[in-house]
Amino acid sequence: MTILDRPAAAATRPAVVIEQLAVRYGDGLTAIEGLDLEVAPGEFHAILGPSGCGKSTLIKTLAGILRPVAGSAWLGGASSYVPQGASCFPWLTAEENAAYGLKVQRVPKAECRQRARAILSELGLAGSERRYPHQLSEGMRQRVAIARAFAVDAQVLLMDEPASSLDFQTKLNLHASLLALWERRRPTVLYVTHDIDEALALADRVTVLSPRPGRALATVDVPFGRPRDSRVVRNFPGYGALFTRLLELIEVNQ
Amino acid sequence: MNRRGLRFAGSVLLGLALPVAILVLWETAANRDWVNTLFYPAPSAVLERSWDQLRDGGLLRDAQVTSKRLALGFVFGATPAMFVGLAAGLIRPIRTALYPLATALYVVPRIAMLPLVLIALSIGDPARVFMVAFSVFFIVFFSSLAGAEQVDRTHLDVARAFGAGRLRQIGTVLLPGALPALMSGLQVAMGFALIVIIGTEFMASNDGLGARIWHSYQIFDFPSMYAGIMAVTVLGVLINGALLAITRVLIPWRHV
Ligand SMILES: Nc1ncnc2c1ncn2[C@@H]1O[C@H](COP(=O)(O)OP(=O)(O)O)[C@@H](O)[C@H]1O
Ligand SMILES: [Mg+2]
Repeated sequence: MTILDRPAAAATRPAVVIEQLAVRYGDGLTAIEGLDLEVAPGEFHAILGPSGCGKSTLIKTLAGILRPVAGSAWLGGASSYVPQGASCFPWLTAEENAAYGLKVQRVPKAECRQRARAILSELGLAGSERRYPHQLSEGMRQRVAIARAFAVDAQVLLMDEPASSLDFQTKLNLHASLLALWERRRPTVLYVTHDIDEALALADRVTVLSPRPGRALATVDVPFGRPRDSRVVRNFPGYGALFTRLLELIEVNQ
Repeated sequence: MNRRGLRFAGSVLLGLALPVAILVLWETAANRDWVNTLFYPAPSAVLERSWDQLRDGGLLRDAQVTSKRLALGFVFGATPAMFVGLAAGLIRPIRTALYPLATALYVVPRIAMLPLVLIALSIGDPARVFMVAFSVFFIVFFSSLAGAEQVDRTHLDVARAFGAGRLRQIGTVLLPGALPALMSGLQVAMGFALIVIIGTEFMASNDGLGARIWHSYQIFDFPSMYAGIMAVTVLGVLINGALLAITRVLIPWRHV
């Protein structure tokens, strides 16, 4: 098993506890080593790090796709996953894609349909339910992948650079929709990005990873209030200082 | 008619122009004795002969015989090939065990196996059906193997992350992911099957369209020979159209 159990912790149990995690690929490459991380329930937590530092490896390990070779990763509930890159099933319509996780969980057909449609419309995709991914724009496809992850009502959402393929404007719109959806449901979110602005626009806390093998260098609080307008965070006092601090963490360790 | 309709009609007309021009030229050449009409009878004469043979039932009977051999061979060859190919794509040792032999047999010209097949099964429909099945098998095997191997890893990861078991991963990701490669493999295989059945009937059959063409050739009945060739062409076009239609139904995400 990937998700190792951990004795019940103290009063407020975190939603994610990762201790001394190490993940190695079959060819002997160590992608992650000695990684510690704790995320509180309902927290929006960004994982920031340079390309190749093991961010996707971390998310895949948490999603149960990869096994750690050492340490443990514990999730306080069901998780769901938005992979990096194009991930919608091309052979399913937007609605069928969104309902995929529910179908796997053997939720009755009518309910699958109804819940998939509801989440798609929350993400601004009403009217596109019957379209296939190739008939949608890149931004819409990413929304479908996010809808698929939110549809299953998971406690922990694992998102791997869902906006990195989008142009600036589309990215801003996606951030706004994502935050609105998150405010309504308040799942714990682990959001991987290599973009400091994006981390600050979305997250409650940001953890910076070291270059490969990835481990947590520091976790920084983002003191901007909630509900947050991701479009204007740049104007908040302290934004510049926070940005510089994260940038230095990344650059100094390269 | 709307714009799309007009454009479609235009491309049909354009596509027909060349064949029609060739037929007209051929007809003229035959009528004016530019060519020896014994060997190259006019298209009108071929059509007339086809019509006669359709009415006396012989052409249809042979077309049926050939179609039946083709269909049986195709089903017997393609069905196991699909399963074995997908299994080889999924399970490494199966792939390792089958790949060298399959590659070797894939490159042997199918018709070269005819004498061996006749020795083993003696002349008869089992041998003819086997020839088709054999020629179809390896093409479909490799296309479904490639289809299974080309399945996007990310899609399999999503299925696993959402808790899909092995069977569900196969049903919801592997099969639909492999389907486009598989269907184009079936189309290629059908082309080979048609060549092989006609070749087999040339050499080892008294009925079927291949036998009809070969027999007409041997008795210098060239209009009948062309009528047979035309019938094979029509059969091929019909089968190809049917396969394309099935593909469109099975893979709607590629066409809408
Ligand atoms: N399947 C794999 N096999 C071997 N090495 C891999 C594999 N996937 C990723 N890696 C390597 O692991 C390291 C971390 O990769 P990844 O987690 O994808 O980084 P990130 O998402 O931070 O860009 C990289 O050096 C990458 O080349
Ligand atoms: Mg990555």
